[in-house]
Amino acid sequence: MSAELLTAAAGDDPAEGLRAVRSLRVLADRLEALHVERARRLGWPWQHIADALGVTRQAVHKKYGKRYP
Amino acid sequence: MFERFTRDARTAVERAQDVARRLGADHIGAEHVLLGAVAADDTVARRALDRAGVDVAALEQAVRTLPSDALDADALAGLGIDLDAVREQVEATFGPGALDDPTGAGRSPRGHIPFDAHAKKLLEVSLREAIRFKHRRIDTGHLLLAAARLETTPAGRALTQLGLDRPSVEDAVVATWASTPV
Repeated sequence: MSAELLTAAAGDDPAEGLRAVRSLRVLADRLEALHVERARRLGWPWQHIADALGVTRQAVHKKYGKRYP
Repeated sequence: MFERFTRDARTAVERAQDVARRLGADHIGAEHVLLGAVAADDTVARRALDRAGVDVAALEQAVRTLPSDALDADALAGLGIDLDAVREQVEATFGPGALDDPTGAGRSPRGHIPFDAHAKKLLEVSLREAIRFKHRRIDTGHLLLAAARLETTPAGRALTQLGLDRPSVEDAVVATWASTPV
């Protein structure tokens, strides 16, 4: 985590900090979707994807099961 | 539920899809339905908006400037993250546009865009508004009323930003109906 990241994430303006957090979440969600799709195309079972993400198989299947069956 | 919609209201819902696509959204949100409702200048919603003294362009601008789920390069730069560098790296693996179009990297540009929960809620509330006024049909006026009622959705927030609260929207819609019966 860079010094800048710490500054913004712990900055004294809540609006700035929250906006930064939101952007990170959007970025993380998009990257996650791309990687999950690719992993499925490469034949990864849901359990492996879940383990890699540190979530349950049910959670990852519920989120992506329909999109990337 | 669309069988109770007037032709204008159906057109508004269809236009919402074009609006969402034009604004680069991957879902049809309540704000896109709202913009769809005021798109044509003879709809009840548009005339009510005119009556309230609000310009359609201003409404679209308000929608555009709402915080959205678009990637915010400035906010990320504030964190020391170079969005362009991330994009370059992602596109090297996933192809051009992958990061900006997570729904399929342009694979289905003409595809159907789904309604999000707020948009569905707006359609549902518009039906309730019609019932409240004892109207048999749902027109764009009811869509506008529903948008004003759903203050926490992007549609409601855009109206609030322009100084349109629920009572003022209701006054404008009711006055518009009075000048041309539903």
